[in-house]
Amino acid sequence: MSHEIIKEKLVQKGAEASLYRGLWFGKEVIFKHRVPKKYRSEKLDKDIRTARTLKEARALIKIKNFRINVPQVYEIDAKNSMIVMKYIKGEKLKDLMFKLDIKKKRKYFKTIGKYIAILHKNGQIHGDITTSNIIITPNEKIFLIDFGLHDYSDSIEDKSVDLHLFKRVLISSHGKDFKSCFNAFLEGYREEHDNSELIECNKIIKNITVIETRGRYVKKEDRL
Amino acid sequence: MKLDKKLCLGIESTAHTFGVGIVDFDGNVYGVMNDIYIPIKGGLHPVLIKEQHLDNFMDTIKKALSEANCSIKDINLIAFSQSPGLGPSLKIGAIVARMLSQLLKIPIVGVNHCIAHVEIGRLMCNIEDPLTLYVSGGNTIVSAYESGRYQIFGETLDLPIGNMLDSFARDLGLSHPGGPKIEQLARESNNYISLPYVVKGMDLSFSGLYTAAKRLVESNQYEKTYDLNDVVNSLQETAFAMLTEVTERALAHTEKKEVLLTGGVAANKRLQEMIEYICNEHDARFEVVPLKFAGDNGVMIGWTGILRYKVEGGHDISETIIKPKERMDKITIPWRS
Ligand SMILES: Nc1ncnc2c1ncn2[C@@H]1O[C@H](COP(=O)(O)OP(=O)(O)OP(=O)(O)O)[C@@H](O)[C@H]1O
Ligand SMILES: Nc1ncnc2c1ncn2[C@@H]1O[C@H](COP(=O)(O)OP(=O)(O)OP(=O)(O)O)[C@@H](O)[C@H]1O
Repeated sequence: MSHEIIKEKLVQKGAEASLYRGLWFGKEVIFKHRVPKKYRSEKLDKDIRTARTLKEARALIKIKNFRINVPQVYEIDAKNSMIVMKYIKGEKLKDLMFKLDIKKKRKYFKTIGKYIAILHKNGQIHGDITTSNIIITPNEKIFLIDFGLHDYSDSIEDKSVDLHLFKRVLISSHGKDFKSCFNAFLEGYREEHDNSELIECNKIIKNITVIETRGRYVKKEDRL
Repeated sequence: MKLDKKLCLGIESTAHTFGVGIVDFDGNVYGVMNDIYIPIKGGLHPVLIKEQHLDNFMDTIKKALSEANCSIKDINLIAFSQSPGLGPSLKIGAIVARMLSQLLKIPIVGVNHCIAHVEIGRLMCNIEDPLTLYVSGGNTIVSAYESGRYQIFGETLDLPIGNMLDSFARDLGLSHPGGPKIEQLARESNNYISLPYVVKGMDLSFSGLYTAAKRLVESNQYEKTYDLNDVVNSLQETAFAMLTEVTERALAHTEKKEVLLTGGVAANKRLQEMIEYICNEHDARFEVVPLKFAGDNGVMIGWTGILRYKVEGGHDISETIIKPKERMDKITIPWRS
């Protein structure tokens, strides 16, 4: 059986995991291996890696049921904190940001907004929405990846934080297009909410500003 | 004193430190003096801090000048911390700076405190373009230069790390600042008890961790299956692992090749060790800002004032109002673009 599983080469060393491309019973796959981090205590390290591997795998399986593209999971090895998933051919949005015209970008961001809205309406928090965690395929399908920080929640706060993280990545890494892209994203996000959900949706969006003023400089008299 | 050098007097006054630094336009430091408000009991009280600053500022300036072996007349530029921080503290610094600038008829420059932490680190560590982890009593920020600004990639969603450590230490009856004591106690334990670990993208949250650690001390298992050192060690391990994870994520995202650790908490050896580890993993150079310049000080304000002054000249007095909430990513950095 082992000859059916071939880890070919390391394609990326992410912050959390090492990603290998390879073959799994003839299918092109990614092996996402959460490697031990020796800087932290062994127990904490093991806990984090196992929890996130399971979290990510469960999220990928669950989210497949919605109208959102995420890689198919083929195998989970919680003990070694590894997931085998479908290899998505395409380019990271982060790299495409330098190549696409603004019209294309806005189109993609609007769709991404819709996707995140679908997740949120189903009580799913991505947890790490960035332009590195979105892959666009050659036929323009948009895939969400990296669900290691995924969480279940219906709270406005958690959803706002999710949007806030994305907003900040856009500001810090793609400042030039930030306004236009983020507005398109919010447009898509709003559109996916029907009338009865709009109040909630607006609360979520409004709360982003509240979060932004919070993490800043917490006045000493306001601290614990 | 060699009068051929142009000198800047920098005033740091964002919180409990009233700091004065004297530095020349090439980055040579001649005088550093700090007057630090230390609470006898409880936390930091802005009004008491302000009173101490008012009582001592003259003396602190004089001491710095005498260390630099120069007179106030040798100063060519005044820089002061304009943002962010406690209103009452910021005001004292601004008033003193305006007064000196007008009396001596020399230019004045307002400086953002967080940017100053990065700039003094770049100068002292001779580092070009770092990803900076800035951890102190008032701030927890992962920042790097991108498109003309010091962008914020990650930050705390609630408590700053130093404040969390100080508060926990205070609850245990330890004196302020608690950070160094926590480091000592943690060294006495190898036991790790699971505590809430909350990382969201490149942001972090410490309030759940703080509450849970307090609960461990109040639990009936306390001093039976674990002791104080174990709790403190677990708190520190969890908090620092979170900081290290977001720093690593930002490093992978920005692809910077240098990492700078600064702020008062940078003194912690365990944190240094953890950050150094990920730097090795990513082939990035690792530098800790020398302790004298990692905590709040006037030199960092003076040096950052010089950088801005060289490109843009001084500020008009009307531009010197304090901005207690100004974020570092709102400010353009003309000397790097
Ligand atoms: N299924 C996949 N198909 C194709 N490429 C993938 C796939 N999964 C991951 N990648 C690539 O590997 C990179 C890192 O993956 P991922 O974000 O899952 O790892 P990580 O270590 O959790 O990252 P982070 O640095 O955000 O913590 C992605 O940016 C992407 O380029
Ligand atoms: N060895 C250490 N381990 C952990 N924390 C430490 C250590 N030494 C100092 N600290 C913490 O550093 C903080 C003081 O930092 P600093 O001198 O930068 O002043 P600050 O006013 O808190 O900073 P800022 O105004 O930049 O937010 C305190 O919270 C203190 O407990």
